[in-house]
Amino acid sequence: MKNLLIILAGCIALLTASPSFAQKTGDKVVCFKSNMHCQDCANTLFEQLRFEKGVKDLKIDHVSNTVKVVYAEKKTDDGKLQKAVEKKGYKAEKISEADYAAILKQAEEKPAANHSGNNH
Amino acid sequence: MKKILIFSILVVLSILGTAQVTRVITGKVFANENGSLQPLPGVNIIWENTRQGTTTDSDGSFSISQKSNQHMLKFSFIGYEPQTVHIDREAPLEIVLKPNLEIGEITVVQKDRGTYLSTISPIQTERIGGAELHKAACCNLAESFETNPSVDVSYSDAVSGAKQIRLLGLDGIYSQLQTENIANFRGLATNFGLTFIPGPWMESILVSKGASSVLNGYESIAGQINVEFKKPDSQEKLHLNAFASADGKTEFNANSNIRLYKDMLTTGVFFHAENLSNRIDHNHDMFLDHPLSTQVHLYNAWKYNNYKGLMLHGGLRFLNDERQGGQIDFREDMPRTTTSPYGIAIDNRLAEAVFKAGYVFPSQNSAIALLTNAVTHSMNSYYGLHDYEGDETRFYANLIWTQDLDKNGFHTLNSGASFFINNFDEILNQRLMDRKESVPGIFTEYTLKPSDQLTLMAGVRADFHNMFGTMVTPRMHFRYQPDPRWTFRLSAGKGYRTANVLAENSFLLSNFRELVFDETIQEEAWNYGVNFIQKYNVADRDLIISAEFYRTDFRKQLVVDRESSSQQLIIAPLDGKSYANSWQVDVRYPVVKNLDLLVAWRQNDVRQTIGGELVEKPLTSRHKGLVTMNYTTNLKKWMFDYTVQFNGGGRLPLLPDASLNMAGMDTEFPSYTIMNAQITRYFRYWSIYAGAENLTDYIQKHAVIGHENPFAPGFDATRIWGPVSGRRIYMGVRFTLNYN
Repeated sequence: MKNLLIILAGCIALLTASPSFAQKTGDKVVCFKSNMHCQDCANTLFEQLRFEKGVKDLKIDHVSNTVKVVYAEKKTDDGKLQKAVEKKGYKAEKISEADYAAILKQAEEKPAANHSGNNH
Repeated sequence: MKKILIFSILVVLSILGTAQVTRVITGKVFANENGSLQPLPGVNIIWENTRQGTTTDSDGSFSISQKSNQHMLKFSFIGYEPQTVHIDREAPLEIVLKPNLEIGEITVVQKDRGTYLSTISPIQTERIGGAELHKAACCNLAESFETNPSVDVSYSDAVSGAKQIRLLGLDGIYSQLQTENIANFRGLATNFGLTFIPGPWMESILVSKGASSVLNGYESIAGQINVEFKKPDSQEKLHLNAFASADGKTEFNANSNIRLYKDMLTTGVFFHAENLSNRIDHNHDMFLDHPLSTQVHLYNAWKYNNYKGLMLHGGLRFLNDERQGGQIDFREDMPRTTTSPYGIAIDNRLAEAVFKAGYVFPSQNSAIALLTNAVTHSMNSYYGLHDYEGDETRFYANLIWTQDLDKNGFHTLNSGASFFINNFDEILNQRLMDRKESVPGIFTEYTLKPSDQLTLMAGVRADFHNMFGTMVTPRMHFRYQPDPRWTFRLSAGKGYRTANVLAENSFLLSNFRELVFDETIQEEAWNYGVNFIQKYNVADRDLIISAEFYRTDFRKQLVVDRESSSQQLIIAPLDGKSYANSWQVDVRYPVVKNLDLLVAWRQNDVRQTIGGELVEKPLTSRHKGLVTMNYTTNLKKWMFDYTVQFNGGGRLPLLPDASLNMAGMDTEFPSYTIMNAQITRYFRYWSIYAGAENLTDYIQKHAVIGHENPFAPGFDATRIWGPVSGRRIYMGVRFTLNYN
């Protein structure tokens, strides 16, 4: 019984440990059109951006070649994030959120087979 | 000191050796449409294994800058066969892509799961990757299975610190342990092999269940565990790991990859040191909970890849491991008599050289590979008044020829020959045991893969053993995937192994009874298995259910009999039946975003004929349950892991002479629960982790029977079914620097 309680406590601790990623006041969104082309490149960019100051959430997609960043306005700005992308050798052309949504939608409609890789 | 100096120099060299020259490669890409060449716009071009790429313009032309370590350029476009070209000149390129008649493979991008259940391989395989290895903070292979539902790890006895694995309910000796596809840490290293492979050196572990491919030899009965070390040509430039636990264990690991000539000639240097010198006795039985130990392990790997089909791999390893256990007052300089405290000491020294070569012929439909290793191992030990020493040398070579029998690769044949020499010299007290094995063998394996839905693999090998004669090993695998959501597998196969009577059972020496055994025998068993994996998309997340059944039937086996005699522990060939049935179901599902849940249940039915009666194998849990939870935050900066293992009860062996059994000694051991938890915080180059193993501090009661007088009848430190050391709280830090 004691063990069961500890298990339960562990579950609750894990579940409540999940911080909320909803956009809060003071947060800003910036979207870029880039040129990654591959999953490895998207990973590299993810590794670079996730530790940039102020970054709260990230969405990087190599199929549509887009980057979306949610960040704390007080800690960084669009320009710094743009530089962080460019530092890794990729383009970072700032686009509006509407354009971003449109590009993403367009990419989803294309057949998924266009980025082949080894499927183990 | 000198070693440290050399290591530091290598580390510095690796950091300096990255100056790069850039030049520009230009060219044009065409499509071959029924014989006429058309410029192809929008082709993806990328330097292999990098993130640097470009696309062709509207007229098919491109330009891309090349750094000194980049020379394989990959071209891909929907509906065309991808092409990789070696760039050795600055002249403009002309690339022609051929239309691909088949529809390209589809890659599913997902969160790094850690453990990956393959549905492609015809053999049931689980890959434990980097993310999963981070969940067990440290220290070695034994601890890497904490979050794995298939492999159980348990203590062999209460004094030596030896750990053994169980796969399909069977002891670790029936699973073949390999490092980079060569059987390793066997023979004298059987009992400590798991603790000889440092966690931070590993890139991945492959666990395959049931009969395995005949290419790797006639051993492996329950399955195979293959450890891949980090590769010298990987992105990792430097990795450091320091670990300390509250009970005084410290550990340091370092590895560095050095690119000596571009990314063609690379070397990796690995270092591991660990120490535990705190004398701890939580249960106050006057015996150390775990032995004092010191280990130093060095490994240097070399890789040459000319990117035209030739690959060479070499490696050197040195290992020194010393441990000392027993009663808390025992010191190594004490005379070993019945008036001194009881002590054990085990020293292992091991050196290994590995060489591998592979060549893919330009036609791309045949390849040849050579795998060899040579090992020398010397071991000195004593358990109380027993002296046990051993020397082992072995050499192994395996040559494999792969040939596609048709253009489409529907039919493939792998054939080859292997050679194995093993010299064993052991002395237990005054008794000498030695043997020389020499086993040439040949094998062939046919694979039929007419489509992604179906794979049939049938192999057979013949080995000619100098002591046991000819062994024929047939093995068969079948995989059918009628729908990407469902994968069925069937397997059947035979396996053999030479039992190392003493080396595998040396931990039984911490026992008052006399060890009785005869010359070694060849063990022989059949294994049959069925496995069914289902994948569903539930609420936009993957639900994976895996169900399996395996049966192992022993024809010949060496059985440990703890029950027939009060004066002797008898190790003798099986006389009657011996089998193991194992049923398992795993369910994997991310219950909420970023929270991965694994629930698994396994039922074991392991029976052996002991003393003329078919009984449950003692000290074996009847079932095991596992729940693992992993929560990773959105940006993967935090990782929380929590694992609960439920271990079912089982049968305990009793002595026939009731007066020697301790009062209240049961015939059954209880079920028990073990919990582990860990938190990891990642920074750009650093990560810090802290956690606890065996959170509830569960320890088997009476681990050392008769601890009051270890030299009197009744003493037994080998009747072990549960954890012998308690809660371990630890903390550690990792540092990683990558190329690029």
